[in-house]
Amino acid sequence: MSQHLHTLDTVAHSKGVRTERTRLFAPAVREILGTVSPDLWAGMRAWPLWTMLAWNDIRQRYRRSVLGPFWITLSMGVFILLLGVIYSRIFAVDIATYLPYLTLGYVLWGFISQTTMDSCGAFQEGERIIKQIKLPYSLYVLRVVWRNFIVFLHTIVIFIPIAIIFGVKPGLTGLLAIPALMLLYINQLWVALALAVVATRFRDVMQIITTAVQIMLFATPVMWPVSSLGRSTIIAEINPLYHIIDLVRAPMLGTAPSALSWLVSAGTAVAGSVLAILLLRRGSRRIVFWL
Amino acid sequence: MAVISLNDVSVEIPIYEVAGASLRKAILERAVGGRFGRSGAHVTVSALRNVTFEASDGDRIALVGNNGSGKSTLLRVLSDVYPPTSGTVRVQGHVSPMFDATLGMSMDATGMENIWLCGKIWGLSHTQIEESIDDIVAFTELGNYLDIPVRTYSAGMIMRLAFAIATVRNPEILLLDEIIGVGDAAFFDKAFTRLQGIVKRSRILFVASHADAILKLLCNKAIWLKNGEMIAYGDIETVIASYRTVTA
Repeated sequence: MSQHLHTLDTVAHSKGVRTERTRLFAPAVREILGTVSPDLWAGMRAWPLWTMLAWNDIRQRYRRSVLGPFWITLSMGVFILLLGVIYSRIFAVDIATYLPYLTLGYVLWGFISQTTMDSCGAFQEGERIIKQIKLPYSLYVLRVVWRNFIVFLHTIVIFIPIAIIFGVKPGLTGLLAIPALMLLYINQLWVALALAVVATRFRDVMQIITTAVQIMLFATPVMWPVSSLGRSTIIAEINPLYHIIDLVRAPMLGTAPSALSWLVSAGTAVAGSVLAILLLRRGSRRIVFWL
Repeated sequence: MAVISLNDVSVEIPIYEVAGASLRKAILERAVGGRFGRSGAHVTVSALRNVTFEASDGDRIALVGNNGSGKSTLLRVLSDVYPPTSGTVRVQGHVSPMFDATLGMSMDATGMENIWLCGKIWGLSHTQIEESIDDIVAFTELGNYLDIPVRTYSAGMIMRLAFAIATVRNPEILLLDEIIGVGDAAFFDKAFTRLQGIVKRSRILFVASHADAILKLLCNKAIWLKNGEMIAYGDIETVIASYRTVTA
């Protein structure tokens, strides 16, 4: 399949002067990923292109608006405040603990749900480019995930005033949120890669995912605390979405996440990445015909 | 040294009509055990059949043939967009396709922003774009318009900008698909001169077009395709002459 010697050249081109950065990656990673999934590796190396496309997507969406992407911040902030006041009464929990919990959960959910839905159309979005220039397929997915991560960075700022007002002190435990966020990103990336391939072939998948995402918001401890399940906490624990959300949320609220959450999230990251890479390999000679 | 060699290349394009692409049908096929035909079987169009040829430095090849004869498919095989269903494609050298000059253009971004955006998509490096900005600006004659969104441009202005960016590259192997002949007469002359510039810089050129006069100006060889098969490959005058006697 390597008859086309120029494929990598195209990518090397778009990297331009910033080639040195890739040397930060451990050579082992390069070796393994470059062999197992040349597409994903080449896609990652073309980061100047997909980060730019992602930024352009956002600017295009909010051009000529005064607040720009902060509109999402504002609407999410209002929603969280209103819901926080009402639901803290319903669940009979202290607003000082409920509101920070809801804020983090809902902002994280926003990232997960939007990325998941967007990824179904990742290749359709890039159809014009795909049909004209050979670029790694993973590039279009990396663009979708990065675009949503930028939005996430805009919305997570809601937590800052909330944390100050209600005196949330994460302390050193809060640092655990960084590796947790990286695990979330990896998990989101494989989900996006897998869905992008499958949803391009089977167009119904997008509808199924949209529905599933809506349902999962209510089935996952985002708006309700796990304690309200009483002795049925198993409902949360069998849900990998709970583990990945809590992994980021708990340290930011000052408690260490459970070992089970680390285990489940790392497990899905590994197994999911294998699945995604297999799908990408299978799709790489067909995706263009599915568009 | 740039070389292209195709050996017995065929491309079958699977057609997925709405029902075919749906999950329901895939599940049904699985469930009824292939009563609706072998699972995974689709209607396919054979867009290219057993094409074999070689091209090397200095070859300027015109692709001629009726609509649907496989010209665009062949260009997509050369640009590695379509993997061949069978046969081998060997390409030595960097391929630059230019099928649609406005590729990647963002209507809400300004002209200047589009220079960066499209330049990056075309595979230009940061420095390459920086170095060619003056040249692009001069060619487009858009002046201050470059600071306002492209959506306010006329079709001709968009074309001028797109064309200027797309022709900055230094391709080893250049693929053109019917992009010549857009814009007004004055622009056409200017664009054609610029096009000849990029063609001169390339080692191998492929152009698909129906405009014989332009093909004869740019090319020295021609490939005649009919229903996905290569009918002739050789000197441009001879091939176009025999193609025209058949179609005329």
